[in-house]
Amino acid sequence: MSDPALTETGAATAPAPTGIRRRRSKRMKTLFPYLLVAPAVIYLLGITLYPGIYAVVQSFYAVKFGPWRPVGFENYANLMGDYQFWGALWNTFVIGSISLTIQCVLALTLAFYAYRDPWVQGWRIIFLIPMLFMPSAVAFIYKLAFLDARVFSDILIRLGLIDGNLSIQSSIWGSRALLILADVWQWTPFLFIIFVAALQGQDEEVEEAARLDGAKWGQIFWNISLPLMRPVIAVALILRGIDITTMFANVFIITKGGPAFGTETISYFIYRTGFKFFNFGYASAASVIMLILTIIIAQLVVKRAFRSGRA
Amino acid sequence: MARIELSGIQKKWGAIWGVRDVNIDIADEELIVFLGPSGCGKTTTMRMIAGLEDPSEGEIRMDGEVMNDVDARDRDVAMVFQGYALYPNMTIYENIRFPLRMRDVPKVDQDRLVREAAAMVELGDLLDRKPGALSGGQRQRAALARAVVRKPQVFLMDEPLSNLDAKLRQAMRIQIKHLQRQLKITTVYVTHDQIEAMTLADRIVIMEGGLIQQIGTPDEIYSDPANTFVAGFIGAPPMNLIEGRMEDGIFTAPSIRVEGLIRNLSGPVTLGIRPEDCHVAGAEAHVEGTVFGVEPTGDMTYLTINAGDALIEVKADRDYRSDLDVPETVAFDPARIAFFDTTSGQRIR
Repeated sequence: MSDPALTETGAATAPAPTGIRRRRSKRMKTLFPYLLVAPAVIYLLGITLYPGIYAVVQSFYAVKFGPWRPVGFENYANLMGDYQFWGALWNTFVIGSISLTIQCVLALTLAFYAYRDPWVQGWRIIFLIPMLFMPSAVAFIYKLAFLDARVFSDILIRLGLIDGNLSIQSSIWGSRALLILADVWQWTPFLFIIFVAALQGQDEEVEEAARLDGAKWGQIFWNISLPLMRPVIAVALILRGIDITTMFANVFIITKGGPAFGTETISYFIYRTGFKFFNFGYASAASVIMLILTIIIAQLVVKRAFRSGRA
Repeated sequence: MARIELSGIQKKWGAIWGVRDVNIDIADEELIVFLGPSGCGKTTTMRMIAGLEDPSEGEIRMDGEVMNDVDARDRDVAMVFQGYALYPNMTIYENIRFPLRMRDVPKVDQDRLVREAAAMVELGDLLDRKPGALSGGQRQRAALARAVVRKPQVFLMDEPLSNLDAKLRQAMRIQIKHLQRQLKITTVYVTHDQIEAMTLADRIVIMEGGLIQQIGTPDEIYSDPANTFVAGFIGAPPMNLIEGRMEDGIFTAPSIRVEGLIRNLSGPVTLGIRPEDCHVAGAEAHVEGTVFGVEPTGDMTYLTINAGDALIEVKADRDYRSDLDVPETVAFDPARIAFFDTTSGQRIR
């Protein structure tokens, strides 16, 4: 019984002794693992692949309440000339890249100063708290603090720093800054945790070797730790980047894309086209373009980071 | 180029002792080996010399200057780590150049020094590779090159050969010793491998439980062990330690009787004798026992004799063969016998 290969062939050729149950048939044996994962796979495909294909098909039709009317590439052609679509892409890029850069730099700096600290190691969960809040709740808090209830303006006035209320709402960059601020506040901890884990996972001997070679802490970080973290940083940036390109809740709650479409992200554009103007085919076309763009960018980042980040 | 003095060094983590009391004077250009079992404090002592660990008590001096409060990177000490600790993101060339870059060596000299160091360890043609693409032995040589490139005051080597296979280990051992003689750099070498210690060292420091058991040349350590720990740690197989009694210059233990020894000893003692100082005897035997095991290795035969409650190891002639459980007699070389206090384990001279 100790050698599985022996028992297997034995069971297949020799007639099974009475009283011992035969093993599963060969066919069942190969199928069994697939059967086990089938429910999960079917479920996942149902909620991702099916709507995905549905959207791609829909993007070639004009869909407005009535029956679908095939239009070929008309939706795509129109999108190319739609300044609101390009504007939304640009806004997504501006808000996303600024927010991502700030988060990344902040998280790296914090991680660098904290990762050898035993207190941080024990209490990292605390840093996750902003992430645990419901995104829409965070959005409403920021809306209250900066726009509706003017808590922020009030504090500045009482400190004597400004005379009247700030009019964040009426300034494009003010509104963008607010979206960036909310995103940075909520998601820097996520990057921080990942970076701390990556730094703590690095070989301590390598760091000690660098110290004896005469490197200061900053030099060790720039020359050794940071290059070694490239794959981790890339993955973190992709995860966060995808999140940010699909940024919707904050825009929907805080700015509604305004003022003057200045904070309308691509997700909000798609939502507005689909659910405000009920132009579903057009919205689908926009989301297909967005999907392709995201995949291309993610691929590029992953490839670059992993090719040269190799040990 | 540096003399290292450790005086009254202690290291404690909370209630746990790392190193209890270490006093060593390491001469300039000396190659000293810290030898001991895992957890004996040898690596901790080395890390304190490096500045990677601070002693709880005591002073570390280099060339008379107290180094306790000098940062690791200002001590001019180079270390070779057990895991090599090469920078995985850099090529071998960049690895070796790193200490030069960090110490602001002029750019014009950097390239020449790197190539010299690489040539010294025969790495010249691998400079463009990354550490991940190198074998264990090559990585080890790269780590060595990185350590020698800036000509430090002190070399520290922490079990540098323990990840290599036996054959490569011997080759690297010779290379390390040669390099050390050539560069004349004071070197502290940590290992748990007694062969490495015996072959490399000018002097060996044997440690156990955070305490130094003996300091001496390999010859002294081998033929003149200070206590039963050293006697039982050095040598393969180690020294036979037989507990018995002394009376009127006669040592007795079950099945063992040795006459004509020093007369000023009496009471319980432990007799120590190396396997190569035991001989299969005829008439004038000290031990009358039975054959417990015979292990021919080609160049000699390990013979184990069961005598009373002791097993005695003998290095017998290469042609020696015997059945098991047959009577056999063994004689000791009287000049090579050492006595230890049975309770304290200390040598009685």
